[in-house]
Amino acid sequence: MAELTWKSTGDRRRSTRAWRVRGSAVTVAVIVLAVLLVPPLVQLDEQAVDLAAKLRQPSLAHPFGTDDVGRDLLLRCVYGLRVSLLVGVVAAVVATVIGTAVGAAAAASGGWFDRVVMRVVDLFSSVPHLLLGIFIVAMFSPGVWPVVVSVGLTHWLSTARIVRSEVLSLRSRPYVDAAISGGASRLRVAVRHLLPGVLPQAGLAAVLMVPHAIWHESALSFLGLGLPTHQASLGTLVQSSRGPLLAGDWWPTLFPGLCMVIATLAIAGLAGAWRERLNPRRRSELML
Amino acid sequence: MTARSIRTAGGALVAVTALALAASACSAPGETAPDGAMSGSAVVGIAYEPDSLSPLLGYGKDGNSKIFDGLLTRAANMQLQPALAAELPKVSDDGRTYTYKLREGVSFSDGKPFTAKDVVFTYETILDEKTNNAYKTELDALKSVEAEGDSEVVFHLKYPYAPFAERTVLPIAPEHVAGEQDVNSGPFTTKPIGTGPYELVKWSKGEKLTFKANPGYWAGEPKVKEFTMAIIKDDDVRATRLRSGDLDGAILPPNLAKTFKGEGGNRTYTAKSFDYRLVTLPTHNKVTGDTAVRRALDVAVDRKAMVDSILDGAGKEAYGPVPTDSDWFTKGTERSHDLKKAERILDDAGWKKGKDGIREKDGRRAAFPLWYLTGDKLRQDHALAYASDAKKAGVEVKVQAGTWEVIEPRMKTDAVLAGGGSPADPDFDQYSLLASKLSGDGFNNMAWYDNAKVDKALEAARKTDDKAKRQAEYDTIQRELVKDPGYTFLTHIDHLYVLNSRFGERSTQVEPHDHGLASGPWWNVEDWQPLK
Amino acid sequence: MARMTARRALFAVPVLLAVTFGVFAVAAASPFDPVKAYAGNAGLTASQETLDQLRANLGVDQPLVTRWWEWLSHAVTGDLGDSAVLRQPVAQVIGERLGWSVLLAAVAFGVAIVLGTVLGVLAARRQGGWFDRGVSSLAYTLEAAPPFWLGLLAMWLFALKLGVLPAGGLTDTGSATVTFEQVARHLVLPAAVLAISQIPWFVLYVRQGVADALEEDPVRGARARGLAARTVLLGHALRSGLLPVLTLIGSRVPELITGALLVETVFSWPGIAAATVQAATSVDFPLLAALTVLATIAVLLGNLLSDLLYGLADPRVGFDG
Repeated sequence: MAELTWKSTGDRRRSTRAWRVRGSAVTVAVIVLAVLLVPPLVQLDEQAVDLAAKLRQPSLAHPFGTDDVGRDLLLRCVYGLRVSLLVGVVAAVVATVIGTAVGAAAAASGGWFDRVVMRVVDLFSSVPHLLLGIFIVAMFSPGVWPVVVSVGLTHWLSTARIVRSEVLSLRSRPYVDAAISGGASRLRVAVRHLLPGVLPQAGLAAVLMVPHAIWHESALSFLGLGLPTHQASLGTLVQSSRGPLLAGDWWPTLFPGLCMVIATLAIAGLAGAWRERLNPRRRSELML
Repeated sequence: MTARSIRTAGGALVAVTALALAASACSAPGETAPDGAMSGSAVVGIAYEPDSLSPLLGYGKDGNSKIFDGLLTRAANMQLQPALAAELPKVSDDGRTYTYKLREGVSFSDGKPFTAKDVVFTYETILDEKTNNAYKTELDALKSVEAEGDSEVVFHLKYPYAPFAERTVLPIAPEHVAGEQDVNSGPFTTKPIGTGPYELVKWSKGEKLTFKANPGYWAGEPKVKEFTMAIIKDDDVRATRLRSGDLDGAILPPNLAKTFKGEGGNRTYTAKSFDYRLVTLPTHNKVTGDTAVRRALDVAVDRKAMVDSILDGAGKEAYGPVPTDSDWFTKGTERSHDLKKAERILDDAGWKKGKDGIREKDGRRAAFPLWYLTGDKLRQDHALAYASDAKKAGVEVKVQAGTWEVIEPRMKTDAVLAGGGSPADPDFDQYSLLASKLSGDGFNNMAWYDNAKVDKALEAARKTDDKAKRQAEYDTIQRELVKDPGYTFLTHIDHLYVLNSRFGERSTQVEPHDHGLASGPWWNVEDWQPLK
Repeated sequence: MARMTARRALFAVPVLLAVTFGVFAVAAASPFDPVKAYAGNAGLTASQETLDQLRANLGVDQPLVTRWWEWLSHAVTGDLGDSAVLRQPVAQVIGERLGWSVLLAAVAFGVAIVLGTVLGVLAARRQGGWFDRGVSSLAYTLEAAPPFWLGLLAMWLFALKLGVLPAGGLTDTGSATVTFEQVARHLVLPAAVLAISQIPWFVLYVRQGVADALEEDPVRGARARGLAARTVLLGHALRSGLLPVLTLIGSRVPELITGALLVETVFSWPGIAAATVQAATSVDFPLLAALTVLATIAVLLGNLLSDLLYGLADPRVGFDG
């Protein structure tokens, strides 16, 4: 957010923002703890079918209700978040590594290589992500890895651009010039001076990428192209809720979607705060 | 929903809407009938699309193809009755010669007469090695077929085969059209010409098949003049479009069909079927090949719960290919859900429970993969329920999804959630499912089941015409399946249909697994008398 | 202007060449056997000989570059090949469906632009006020919500619970003709959901743009001169605040296509999306390739539109690209 806007609105606004960051942090912490701890602690089989308890409304025993073969939806949502987060984080890391490597290489070498690489980046941006993702998934059999690859391969572009411009601006800093003229090796300059400057930006890009990657996984799964339908992910949960929804049972659709909205908002909220600290003067970019 | 009643076009045209409408007006899906022909038209949603419409490649092999007729056809009660034949066939005393007298004065929809030559052509082409007909083995008994003049056909069999007449419901193709072109890829495969009650107007692949009544149909022109089958693979989408008034009728899974019950304007039909769901227990898998594991799983599984919940009561527990309410079912072969017994069988056989609750024997975990067809919700739910039941007995079943391309090469060692079933004759299912000589032959005997006693009974039962003798042989087989279940049979599923009540009270037949196009209440759409 | 358009068209050629080649390369790396896919279930029982024949017929045994070149030289003449899954020429599949997709996307996009701008401006007028906070929070939340989920919830509410709108399809199949009235009724839900999925971005950008403009010197000056708040907002802030938004409209095309793909699927709208999903699930390569190219063209057009609009709105920007 531009600083100027905050100035005019005073303290109340600032404290709201602090609360929002705190809220996001707590939510992310809860989600991470849940997906890490619940499966090993509870020792329940999320696939365990209880046909006698199908499509129960939300209640104390099943806060999110049960699905059409009697599986507890809260447990399924936790497992779904676990799979979706895993896919999201791995895909974001893949995308960030590719993007950082490409962006840094382009900026560091400059010249024709830089121009060619950036043209390729433009080229990739010309194909809608989801369509490209669909194409990649379609060419391989459904499963976790094709989805990760598909999301990773389609999301490194913005990171490449950010890293490139960051490297370019760092290169023109006096201390880098000084190091180069002082006879430091290329590698040394890169590791000692450029990398520390680039890493936070790349890290931020990676975190901002996670919700986006989750979104993509769920879209692919919803279309029936992502994970197999019996494996819980936020996308497959919504996908398999269509039947019950048509029969009037809303909870199998509502809760997985809510989980996704909450997780996305919380991660984006944290990342937003980090970004403001990192680039205080940059205009907010909505990177969802 | 009152979408149907509002018909006047009105309102302001948003510029962009008009533009886009104009751009696509010529190509809107559904440009079939003029308005007002409503009472004489019907649109039904189906889940399945044939690969080809040529009877020579297997289309309509179980009869009732709408475009074609067979020599025989099946009445509502599944009794055979003559169609292109003038009467039921005469069978020689040794059971190896079938003689059909043909109906006179029948023409194909292009006006050319139907003769004995067409019958001979159809059967000979199907048996031809170069014809890619995957169901060729169903006519295994047939040695030769010959025409006696224009109006009589004689079939000679290699061996006496009691249910042969049931096979002659297969549709007859016109030699003067289909004989002139490549049988596997010629235009006849998509633009068929037959003697049936309907002619194909258009086949928009993946979308719909449009039929119009054949004015020269030998049994009288159908009253429903326009008949459209919308191909909608997704159950949820089909239900949505039925509810929105888009369709007059549709086949639906039980949970969705249920939502139409008690609503005015629609009727729900439940067709009994021989359509079973089972888990193959491959002989070549070290776990499922063990008879103790097979028998334990057979009683560990809670079939009743599956029928009640997955099928919403629309089905029956299955203990073998023969449904419990069929005459051919062997009373007393029902197995009740008995977890204790399952555990005892496994304990006695040396499968001991490990720390995680899964059994082991000689260092081998009691675990095996179970595949279901990607996107098939019914099979997925059966598979998940089966895995849950098995786990309670200490057997780990890992559910996995795949397309047939993925599943097929693994069938020798991996379990599959499969379906099948044909009501016409007990031989049809049981021979292909259980005969050891068909092990691994495509989708026949997927479990590589090998039981000498069963093999002997199968051969004996198909060669005699004596109902009591056949019954005895099939009793033997069903009892043998209790002792050595090569498959865990789970359920026989009813097929549920919802149809607009303006078509009145319709009937349904007993249906097979592959029920093709003409099933449900529209099995006899040619006989419908639409109400206003 | 014409010059820039021509330059962009020239740039599009290598882009499209590269995209099509990339598509063929991915397909070549795929473990999927297009022959098996073509043969469908019949392929499971077909003999090796038949499959080999089919392989030769489909030209799958050729090397990657040859196949790509074959496809390209045909595509240039308008022959995009045949869709294996829909068993129609690809050009026909696209021709029959493109209009409906364009209709849906255009209506939704129009609604999103208008509503998004209005809400954004209103929110920017009093930053931090209750209206701003409400709109912004809602926008962030909706932005985080996947369109297919919103679509399902909307279908449940409006079609199933309230019964006021049809749940899907283009017309009632039973009626043979496509009337404007029917299409309009069937369009409401999908277009609304697609619009809602696009609105948050517009709201947030317009709000930011206008708010920033309100802080700029000329606007401050105008305020200092005592001009009415309304005049300042409409006359000055709006113009400079909306400019960046205007230029970004074209860049929203990929998101619009993505959203349309999901919304069409939920409401079984007979557009390109249904074909895309079917093509993908059955690895229908000719169709997938053509659709990918089509989407790329749409994106390039969107970029061109952005630049043209920017040039029109801000005369200082030359048109030499």
